[in-house]
Amino acid sequence: MESSIEFSQFNSTNVRRVRRVKEFLKKNQLELSTDIELFVVGKEDDNIIACGGVAGKVLKSIAVAKERRGEGIILKLMTELLNAAYNNNQNELFLFSTPNNIEFFRDCGFHLIEECDGEVMLMENSKNLQNYQKKLTKLKKDGDVIGSIVMNANPFTLGHRYLVEEASKRSDWLHLFVVREDASEFKFADRIELIKKGTSHLKNVTIHEGSDYIISKATFPTYFIKDKGMINELHAKLDLNIFRNQLAPYLGITHRFVGTEPYCKVTNNYNQNMKKILADKQSKFQPIEVVEIPRIEFENQAISASRVRKLLQEKNYEELKSIVPPSTYEFLIKNRTLSL
Amino acid sequence: MKVVNSAHAGTLESSDAYIQINPINEDIVEIELESSVEELYGEMIEELIRETLKQMEVSHVHVKIQDKGALDLVLKARLQAAVLRACQLSRNPDWSLL
Repeated sequence: MESSIEFSQFNSTNVRRVRRVKEFLKKNQLELSTDIELFVVGKEDDNIIACGGVAGKVLKSIAVAKERRGEGIILKLMTELLNAAYNNNQNELFLFSTPNNIEFFRDCGFHLIEECDGEVMLMENSKNLQNYQKKLTKLKKDGDVIGSIVMNANPFTLGHRYLVEEASKRSDWLHLFVVREDASEFKFADRIELIKKGTSHLKNVTIHEGSDYIISKATFPTYFIKDKGMINELHAKLDLNIFRNQLAPYLGITHRFVGTEPYCKVTNNYNQNMKKILADKQSKFQPIEVVEIPRIEFENQAISASRVRKLLQEKNYEELKSIVPPSTYEFLIKNRTLSL
Repeated sequence: MKVVNSAHAGTLESSDAYIQINPINEDIVEIELESSVEELYGEMIEELIRETLKQMEVSHVHVKIQDKGALDLVLKARLQAAVLRACQLSRNPDWSLL
C-alpha cells in the first residue's frame, strides 16, 4: 500500500500548529512537554497521525494515532526525528516514553537506561552511560560509609559548606556531584569552582562534574523550572532510580546526604521521594540511607542559594557576606555586574 | 577522502538501514552495528562496511548502523551517501572511488 503520509517540521514558536499537536497528544493520553524546540508531524489528508518533539538532545512526546498503530508509521516518524536532531548536531540522543513502547524504540537503536513505576522510561542511543559507569568505577574508594551529595550550588553558600562538612565527617569517603546543566543563574564552571574553593579543607571528598544522568535536562527536565512549581513527580523518581541503580553501585555509595528543605515544597517533596526510593529494601539494588541534615540559619532564616540571589539583587552585600564563604563572596563582588 | 563532519543517510524502515558517520581522532574505523539479521549476517555486513570505506579511502570514523535487513547494495549505497555527506562531497563525488 502506498502511504500518503507527509512529514513536516516546525518550531515551538508556531503557536497554531503547536496547539494542534497538543490536541493530538491529548487524544493519545500524552502531555505536551513545554521544553520542546522542534516538532515533527506526520499528516494524512490534513489530519495529524503521528508526532514527536526534540528538546535539545531529548526526543519526547512521541505518538502515533491509535487507529494507525501496527503499520510501522513509528519507523518513519523516528527516521524524521533522528534526521531533525542530527541536523541540529545532536548526535547522542535520549528518549522519553512509556515502558510499554520499549520494543519499538529498541528497533530504532535506543536502549533502556531506567524506567519508573511502569509509567515513564528514559532511553539513549549512545554508549555514554556505560562509559560513564566505567569512569566511576575507577574513582571508587573503600570504606564502610561512602557518602554522596548532589548539589547545584547556585551559588555555593555557608549552608552548602556545612552540609558538605557534616557529610564528610560522617563518611569514610564522600562523592560530591555538581549539577552540570547550564540552566541556572550561575554557570557550571563558576559553580564548581566555588565548591572546590569552599571545600578545599576537606580531604576525603571527590568532586565530580555532573553528567546527563544526574539531575540533567535529560533525566529531570522539570527540575530547571522548579521555581514555577511544575516539577514532575515521575521525573523526580526516574532521576532517583537512575542514581540508585545505574550510578551508586559503581562507586559503592551507601549514604546520600541532603539538607532539610523548610521553604520550597517542590524540593521538600523530592527529598521525601528520595527517602522512599533510595532506601527501598525491596529493590534488587543495595539500599542507600538518606540522611537529612538540618540547615543552618542566619538571623532565624535558613541559609539558601535563593536567599543569596535575592540579596544580590537587593545589593545587600553586608548580609550577603555573612551567609557565603569568603571565596564565594569575593567572586560575587568581582562579578557584581552579572545580571541576575 | 577526509570526513569533516557528522552525517547520516537512510531510514529505519524494513529492508533499509540508517547509517550515521562521526569523525574521530584515531586512525581507525569504528563500527557499531545493530541489525535485525545480526546473527546470520553480522560479520558479512561489517566486512562490507570495511571494504566500502577502504575503497573510498576513509578512516578516522565511527560508523553506526541500524540495519533492518537491507540488501548489500542498499547498505553500500547508504554508506556511500553518508560518507560523501560527511566529506562534504555529495555534490561532486569522485566517482572512481565508488
